Amino acid sequence: MYRKILVAHDGSPGAFVALTAALDLAAKLAAEIHMISVTELPAFPGTMDEVIEEQDEGRRRLQPVIDRAKQLAALKGLTLETHLLPGHPVKVITDFVRDRGFDLLVVGFMGHSALYNSLIGSTTDRLVDHAASAVLVVK
Amino acid sequence: MENVWLITALWIGLALAAAVLSVRLAVSVALTEIVVGAIAGNLIHLQISEWVNWLAGFGAILLTFLAGVEIDIAIVKRNFWSTMSVGLMGFFAPYLGILLFARFVYGWPLDQAQIAGIALSTTSVAVVYAVMVETGFNRTEIGKIILAACFINDLGTVLALGLVFANYNLWLLFFAVVTLIVLFLLPRLVPWFFETIGTRVSEPEIKLIFLVLLGVGGIASIAKSEAVLPAYLIGMVLAPTFARYQVIAHRMRAIAFASMTPFYFLKAGSLVQAHTIITAAGLIGVYFGLKMLTKFVGILPLTKAFRFDAREGMYTTLLMCTGLTFGTISALFGLTNHIIDETQYTVLVTAVILSAVIPTLIAERWFQPAYRPLDSEQQQQQPAK
Repeated sequence: MYRKILVAHDGSPGAFVALTAALDLAAKLAAEIHMISVTELPAFPGTMDEVIEEQDEGRRRLQPVIDRAKQLAALKGLTLETHLLPGHPVKVITDFVRDRGFDLLVVGFMGHSALYNSLIGSTTDRLVDHAASAVLVVK
Repeated sequence: MENVWLITALWIGLALAAAVLSVRLAVSVALTEIVVGAIAGNLIHLQISEWVNWLAGFGAILLTFLAGVEIDIAIVKRNFWSTMSVGLMGFFAPYLGILLFARFVYGWPLDQAQIAGIALSTTSVAVVYAVMVETGFNRTEIGKIILAACFINDLGTVLALGLVFANYNLWLLFFAVVTLIVLFLLPRLVPWFFETIGTRVSEPEIKLIFLVLLGVGGIASIAKSEAVLPAYLIGMVLAPTFARYQVIAHRMRAIAFASMTPFYFLKAGSLVQAHTIITAAGLIGVYFGLKMLTKFVGILPLTKAFRFDAREGMYTTLLMCTGLTFGTISALFGLTNHIIDETQYTVLVTAVILSAVIPTLIAERWFQPAYRPLDSEQQQQQPAK
């Protein structure tokens, strides 16, 4: 069925739920499992420092998430390959799915507040719309 | 008598709102401060007093200094002809094209046409850098050339701003001589001072830089030049020093972004007239279109001459159409010195903001080179350069 699974992780509790589900699925299907996290850069920045600082802040925030995710994978006897990339999450993730040939993308239901989602729109919705692979949304 | 603390609290509150918005929307804080300033200026008629002008002015000086510090001089030296030609063409093509249009087609007086040309000649180094980080292009030699060319482009803008409206008298000569002496001495004096004085709570390193920026900036003002010109040049000559003393640069940036640059961008935004954006939408579109057209005419052929492939050439040209900080500084200079009026200022700043957004979107959507960002694990496996 699915041979190459990618889970998108933004550090939120919903993403950890998605990660757990993705690890279980990968174990059952003996699939390759990868995790992608994106350090979101500011759009139309005024200084280079803003960009560099966001990258550093993103790395600081997401490295513990990556370490924890690898531990969870190891507990299930799996090797989790992690990828930390800069950019706009939807674009980076959809490009990554297409370029690396993943056949399933697993995402959590909500990374932002409900108000943010209703006003701005959720990353999950946009990933479902634009990803080239099947998408599993875990609640 | 105005309550200065409450008025300051209002400005800082607006700055805080803009900062939170920038984090939530992942958009530059400069842009959100301009927008918040525009909303406040049009809704509550935000008053600009002398101390706001002072803080905004110092903020612009620090912003320009910190921009100069980011240049990689080694890349300019290593790729001198490509960097200089793309950078200078990136400045002159829009500067002259827009100046001529404003003067002879739209009938603006020469000084006003100069401001239009200067404000729309800029390139946003930060926008170019951000797009390159996403694509991994910042690690390639072509990416570094493009970035260095953007610095040269902005150097042209700053030089024009400092020299076009200056009084050509003994004060200007004095300013030029002092600047040259300072630019010669600082790369020797500053590292020695930083090394000798060490890190102190009293921040003597930052005070030294402030002294130099304000002193030379003051002489620039007497000569009717512009304080941001020496600030940019001083930043450029101290770039290697601050590459070693990054903590000091971060502390200066913290001072600037917490307490000075918000006043600058909020002020810049507050002077934008909402009704002019609507009534002069056509002229704004024309200026924006002209900026892009002149940049294309100037830069795209050069990218072919320097053997960029077609996609890279279009990508480079589009990125060099962007502009934000220096364009706003130039337009505000024109307004502050009564060269342009608020209507013209609104037209130019809106065109500048459009140039920060639209070319970037086009470049990322349709012309991104076939390059993928290295993720952190691949970066660890790459040999160090």
